[in-house]
Amino acid sequence: MTLTLFYIFSTITILSSFFVVFSSNPVHSVLFLIFSFFNVAVIFLLSDAEFLAMTLVIVYVGAVAVLFLFVVMMLNINEVLVREGFLRYFPLGLLLMSVFLTELIVVFKDLEFFSSNDSRISISNLLDQGHENTKSIGLFLYTDFFIIFQISGYLLLVAMIGAIVLAHDNKLSLKSQNILKQKQVKKDDIIKLK
Amino acid sequence: MTSSNYLILSSIVFSIGFLGIFINRKNIISILMSIELMLLATNINFVGFSSTLDDLFGQIFALFILVVAAAEAAIGLAILTIFFKKSGSISIETINKLKG
Repeated sequence: MTLTLFYIFSTITILSSFFVVFSSNPVHSVLFLIFSFFNVAVIFLLSDAEFLAMTLVIVYVGAVAVLFLFVVMMLNINEVLVREGFLRYFPLGLLLMSVFLTELIVVFKDLEFFSSNDSRISISNLLDQGHENTKSIGLFLYTDFFIIFQISGYLLLVAMIGAIVLAHDNKLSLKSQNILKQKQVKKDDIIKLK
Repeated sequence: MTSSNYLILSSIVFSIGFLGIFINRKNIISILMSIELMLLATNINFVGFSSTLDDLFGQIFALFILVVAAAEAAIGLAILTIFFKKSGSISIETINKLKG
């Protein structure tokens, strides 16, 4: 049952990622991107990563994809221009993609992975102790991985400051006070006697 | 679900993102979306291994990838908006000012 659901949702994910790349309207592309994020969230739910599935929906669909949609709607993109040069690069891209994909699938087809028992954080042990997915992520994220957690917080801060600095328009703040100019004003510039 | 299921799904999604970077030469937004698809494929890999190997670290690392992807999208779109304001187009072929 789970395997069937996995196959169904992975097929939908692959199809909608194809449409992200191939649709001519950028708004449709963003909407298909949102759709594939939803399907991947369902795949995460099937593999017992509930917290990550909900985070994917909130962060990606709620923030990143809406940001994309906002920018696509704000910029006026010519649809005819977008398709130009498509046929020129398509054969080369398809060739490279098929070589890459064939290599990956040949390697991954029947590969078995094992992990050593001493170093891993076992999910089934945590479940036996009564910690569900979100709680166990919190147990390790705020203790063992605290430094990495802090660094990722700083990364977000730097990204936020960078985005504000880049997008800030100086012309919008014309009404601010320029003290040097204010001090240099002479009486004759302002008062005129006729 | 075995780990090769996850691996094949993620390599297909990653290759689609790869193809998207190649064929969309006129539109930077499509390239950014393709990069998002590739990051999503890495996330599928991490969660798949976390599920098949019974290790929580994959999910924690996928959370950090999510952070990096969000920061990258915000910065990329900010650069894109300011570039569009300056030059009036987002075609890749017009972005050659940095050639030196």
